[in-house]
Order: sequence, then structure tokens, then C-alpha cells
Amino acid sequence: MKIWQRCLLFMFALVAVVGGVAYAQAPSAPPVEFPYTGNRTAVWIVAQLHILFAGFILGAPIFVVISEWLGYRKQDPRYDRLAKEVTKVTVILYSMTALTGGLFIFVLLATYPQFTTWLINHFFLIFAVIYPLLFIAETIVLYMYFYTWDAWKGEKKGRHIALGVLLNLIGSITLFVIDGPTSFMNTPVRAEGVSPAEFLASASLWDKVFNYSWMPLNLHRLVGNVTFGGFIAGLIAAYMFMGSKKPEDRAYYDWMGFVGNMIGVGALLFLPFMGYLLSYELCDYDASICPYMMADQLSMFFEMQGAMVGLIFLASNYYIWLSMKRIEGVERVRMTILAPIVMVLLPIVMTKVLTDYPVPDATSLAFLLPLLLAPVILGRFIPLTVSSSTVIKIGFLMVVVGNAIWMTPHGFVPTGAKLVAELELPSDWNFLALMPAKNSAAFTLIFVTVVNYVIYNRAVSQGTIVWGKIDFASQFVLVFLAFSAIWTMGLMGAVRSLLRKYFHTYNLLPDFTAESFTPTLSYSAWWITGITVTFFAVVSFAIFVTLRPADAKGHAHEGSPIPAGAK
Amino acid sequence: MGNVIKKSIVGIVIGGILFGATNALGFPLVFQLLFFGYAMLGTVVFIILDLPPLKPFGGVKAAGALIAFYVILSAAYVAGGAVWPQFDPEDEKGKIDKILKPKREQYEAGKVEVLLQRAKALDEKTKELTARLQALGAAQAPADQKAGGGAAPSATTAASSGDLAKLGEEQWQLQECYNCHKLNGEGGKKRGPELDNIGSLLTAQEIAEKILDPKSYKAEGFEKEYEKGKMPDKYKDLMEPGDVQALAGWLAGYKNASVNTPKPIKMK
Repeated sequence: MKIWQRCLLFMFALVAVVGGVAYAQAPSAPPVEFPYTGNRTAVWIVAQLHILFAGFILGAPIFVVISEWLGYRKQDPRYDRLAKEVTKVTVILYSMTALTGGLFIFVLLATYPQFTTWLINHFFLIFAVIYPLLFIAETIVLYMYFYTWDAWKGEKKGRHIALGVLLNLIGSITLFVIDGPTSFMNTPVRAEGVSPAEFLASASLWDKVFNYSWMPLNLHRLVGNVTFGGFIAGLIAAYMFMGSKKPEDRAYYDWMGFVGNMIGVGALLFLPFMGYLLSYELCDYDASICPYMMADQLSMFFEMQGAMVGLIFLASNYYIWLSMKRIEGVERVRMTILAPIVMVLLPIVMTKVLTDYPVPDATSLAFLLPLLLAPVILGRFIPLTVSSSTVIKIGFLMVVVGNAIWMTPHGFVPTGAKLVAELELPSDWNFLALMPAKNSAAFTLIFVTVVNYVIYNRAVSQGTIVWGKIDFASQFVLVFLAFSAIWTMGLMGAVRSLLRKYFHTYNLLPDFTAESFTPTLSYSAWWITGITVTFFAVVSFAIFVTLRPADAKGHAHEGSPIPAGAK
Repeated sequence: MGNVIKKSIVGIVIGGILFGATNALGFPLVFQLLFFGYAMLGTVVFIILDLPPLKPFGGVKAAGALIAFYVILSAAYVAGGAVWPQFDPEDEKGKIDKILKPKREQYEAGKVEVLLQRAKALDEKTKELTARLQALGAAQAPADQKAGGGAAPSATTAASSGDLAKLGEEQWQLQECYNCHKLNGEGGKKRGPELDNIGSLLTAQEIAEKILDPKSYKAEGFEKEYEKGKMPDKYKDLMEPGDVQALAGWLAGYKNASVNTPKPIKMK
């Protein structure tokens, strides 16, 4: 995309923001009524699209700079090419972030003028000064980072990497700053014995920002953005692999897909814990949020989440499985028999231990750590081993078991009040629906994935990777992972927003409009799918216009088959 | 193909075993089907694992395959969202209307107050300007502008129509107390104490005190929940005083000694 086109997009975003603010100045301006979608869904669509673009432009630079640094350190040009190609797409999507951001504030002001003005008043310094300044700084640094890529090579590479670090620093601060008002809407500042409205009147800006769910949301989004960036890098690689005509390009994009997926999965392993921390804090803030999420109106959203997470873990492990098939000599790799044994025992033992010593009781670690470390420590003394293929297949079985535990609900009803015996888990088996079982399921998925990567690393050290020879189905797995991860982000974003129930700001500012109710999962799934497809259409277009011309220019040196373990 | 058939048979057998076992263990039909579904998922996974490699293809064929793949994924996720039991928003809309009614009235009254304040401010400004004009010896400005009229906002009073018990029960439903407290054998999940005998242990006034200030009483055996402040300290802001009294009065009528409602301990 040319500079004048980017400028046009920025101008449009600016006009949208200024127009929105001007509109809000009209006294008692009546809200706009969006046809077909209604106001709330209109805000939902624009906000979600903005968050998806923003998530990518904040997440991608984190691994871009790591990749650039690895390329510099290992003197492997593939890393540098990966970093630069992802940055090219990031620059285009940066314009889309600005555009959807402008549109978001415009739609918000048009549909909920009183609430928006109220929120802006409470966070005036952030909305009027800090956030715009950070955004401008980030824009400058991003473009500097991109346009100095070729100029700052060789001895100046360190300077370029430092600029990338600065970009990430500004990006992370921007995320943390805007998470203040976002988390405030879920868990507004409060104090015991004082009404929320009274306390708010005397609260400082820092009090409002540093609310209950601020830091958990920051961590959750930070890790989520890296996952997101990794899977989008995988998507880019899959598209380019499919479009490659030369074997060396195919080899390079095979490698890029593997790296993107590894980063995506690596961050994904932390995501359940971050999500757990966020929901723990939300429940701690107001215990009535918990049943609303898990047992009532939103309970089936969590069923869908369980299904999605299970599918994502199955797909990411399937990708490792396919990746291993292109390693010559993989059949020689063996592993201690304790690894599959621990895999099978983990959900059972962990459920029991966490039931007896619930989180955050650290006693549970006394039982769980020895179990988890047994394959590493005891494995050295026990000579029995099994083939890598057997370990991975048992791992797949346990991913299905973990998924089954995660998805088994207490009852098949969307409201606890309507629960009848014909739809309820027998009381003796109710533990399957409780948090210890769900945590053990999540941990089993993570453990299996880690073991699979350990096996992969062993295969790499003992054999030879033939890049570019991966099963073509793997490219569809990369597309699946990106689509499913982003769909799940949309689902959980909707959940976080719906937790405010019939309030704009929980327990503080009610939403008096007719749309103030919990939508059905089916309705939500339609919109989440629509938003995800729209996002993918834009991202696919961005990949097409930025990277297609580069295809012909040739990068023969990076793509040639490389022996395993080569630096 | 033989491999697919073999694995399908194994999957169906395992699914059948799970179905039978869950039936024998007293699981409802929907759970038996769910466990059968898990076995089928496992079967599909193990079939996919050993599928022959897909030959590479590009160009229009790859683009077409990608679009088809996206269409399948989209359809699967839309369908996936639709197969789970759906919450009926109509169940909630009536509740929300009732909960927000007094707040809406206050809000509307607040809006009138704002308009009145603006009118007053304009009136003050007019007077000030008139005084200035008079001081300058200009023509007399009309001095009888009065905005707003005398219509003061009507105070919102908690309507206490119908009988108290009905109102109390309605509040129990509206505030979703059943999510934490068991009553008449329904609700609960052990987050809060069972309340069927609460009327023998606390008066209506004391119950109201507990609702308005959850730290005022601690239930025996719920020390952890008390320390963590599990009962939300929000009802004094969310509920009207009349509604709190109605709920407390209705709960005070529960004196079923056969239920072990834990003893409340006065803390404040």
C-alpha cells in the first residue's frame, strides 16, 4: 500500500473521530438507531474488528523483534526475512487499526452518546492526551522501524533491534493504558462501605485505572496478542507456501509456518492460566459474576470455548505430528515410558489433588511437581522406553480425554434455575463439572503439547529436516489454527463484555436501552463468525498485496534444505 | 480404506462401551450421547493421523480449496453455536425491566433536574445581562423570563403494591439469590448457606441488615466465604429499601427446622 493510500486511511479515521466528538457536543443529541443490527451489535462489530487488528499490530512486533534478533545472533537470514515480511503486513494492518478505531469511537458516540461522554469525562487525560500521544509515537516508531530495515544492516542492526524493542515498549504501554477504561467498565473502582457512585466521585485517575481486573486483563491480552501474532504468521506462511512455485520458497515458508505455529502454541500454553486469573479476579470482585458465567446465561458460551480450545490443541499437535513426518530418522527417537504414564495419570491425580487442596493452596504442588518431573528425573534410571509415535498417539488420546473433561457440563441448560434431573450430571460424578477437573483438563492439554515438542526437538537433533516436504494438509492446519484462535478470541471477548450484564459500567451506570440483555450463543456465533470472516478477508488481502510481488524477487539462499540443528 | 474401517469399528465399540457404562452409572441420556460423541471425536482424530499425505496444489485450485475451507469452518462454528442449549433472552428481559424501573425513573427525574438547572442558569444569565443593560442606560429588557415552571421532579417512591410475600419472592428471583443459596430444595451449589430455617435464627430486620451489609453476619461453616467477601456488597445500591424489606420479610417466614441452616454470628 502506498503512502498516499495510508494517509487517506488515517485522514478518514481522523474525520471519524473528530466527527464523532463534534456530534457528542450537541446537547442531548438523540442516539442513532442502526438498522438491522441494532446499536449494541453495531458497536460489537466495530469494537471487535478494532480489537482484532489492534491485537495483531501489538502482538506481531513482539515476535518480529525476537525473530530479527535471532536472525542477527544466528546469522540466519530466514529469521530476518520472516520478521520483515510480517512487519510489511503489520504496517498495512496498522492503517486498518486506526481506521476501525476511528469508526469505533464514532459509532460509540452516535449510539451511546451519554455513556461515551461520561466515560471520556472519567478518563479525560487518557482519551485526550496519553492515548493519542502514545498512538502517534507508536506510528512514528513503527514507520521508522519499517523504513530503516534495509538501511540499518550489519553493524547498525543492533540499533534497528533497539528500535523494535522501543516499538514494543510503546505498544505494550498503549495496551495497558487503554485497558484501564476497558477493565473499569467490568470492575469499577470501589471501597467497602461506600457507594460506588460516591467513591468514584473522589477517585483519582490511577484509582480508576488500577481496578480489580486491570492487570489480569493486561496479562491476558498481552499473551493473547502473541498467540494471535504467531498464528497469523503461520497463516501468512500457509498462503505463501500454497502460492510458491520454487522449492526454495516452499522450504522457506514451511519453516516460517513452523516458527509461527511454535510461537502461537508457546504463548497459547499460558493462555488458559491467564484466562483463569482474569475470571478468578472477576469472581473475586463480585461472586455473582461466577454463576452468570459458568452456570447461567453464559454457561453454554464456555461449552463452546471448551470445544474450541480442544480443537485448537488437537490441531496444533496434529501440526507437530505432520512436521515430524518430514524429519528423516524420526523413527529412531524413543522416550521414557514414564512420559505416557504421566500423561494418562495426570487428569486423575490432578483432579483429586486440586479437589483436596484447591487453588491457591500450594500444598497441591507437593504432589503434582514430583509427578510432572518424574519422566525427567526418574526416566534416567528406568531403561524402559517407547517409540515417539506411540507417545504421540497416547498424547492424542489424552487430548481427547482432556477435551471431554473440559466440555462435560454440570447440566445441559443455559440457566441453572431450569436444571432438571434428566439434564444434570449424577451427583457422584459432579466433580467432572467443577474447577479442579477443568484445571486438570487444561493442564493435560498443555503437558501433552510440551511432551510433543520435546519429542520434536529430539527428532531434530537426531535426524535431518527436509524443509518444504511437509504434508500439504499441514497448510490447512495452519489456516484452521489462525481462524479458530481468532474465533475463540471473539467468543471470549463477547463473554467479557457481556459480564457487565445490564450495565454499561458494572453496578454503576445501567444500560436502559431495549438491547440490554444477554444474547443467545447462536446469535453471538453468527456475529463472531461474520467478524472473523471480515477480518480474514482484510488480512488475506493485505498478505496478497504486500507479499505477492516479493515472491518473484527470489530468496534462494534462505530456502535451501538445511540440516537439523543448523544455526 | 481398510484402516479407516478398522478404526471406525474400534471407535464405535468404544463409544458403545462408554454409552453402556454411563447408562449403568445412571447418567441421563444426553450425557450418554455426549460420551459417545467423545469416542467418535477420538475415532476421527485417529483416522486423520494415519491418512496418506495430501499432494501439493496451487493456483486457482488452492484458492478454491481455501475458500471452501473457510466456508466449511464458518458453517461449522455457526452450527456449533446453535447446537448447544440456548438461553432465552425473554427470561431476562422482564427481570431487567423490573430491576431497572426505579433507576430509570431516577434517571429520567435526573434529566429533568439537569434541564431545570440549565434553565435556571440561563435565567441567571438573563438577569445579569438585563442588569448590565440597565446600568448602561439601555432599553429595559424583559424581566419576566422564567424558565422551567414550577414542576418539581416527583420523588421516586418504592411502589409496594401487592402482598409483601409475593414481592419478596420476586426479589429472590430478580436478584438471582438462588445462584448461591438453596431454598425449598432448589438452587445453591454451596456458595452460600441453605436458608429454609433462616426465619428461626434471624428477624426480618436482621436479614435486611445482612443483605445491605454482608459483613454484618457470618454463617457458621462459611468462614472462608465470609473472609473473601463472597456475598456481594452491592444490594444497598442496587435494591430499593422497600424491596430489601420485602425480601427480608419473605425470608423471615422460612422456619423449617428440618433443614440445617447454619447459625449466623453477629460480626458488626
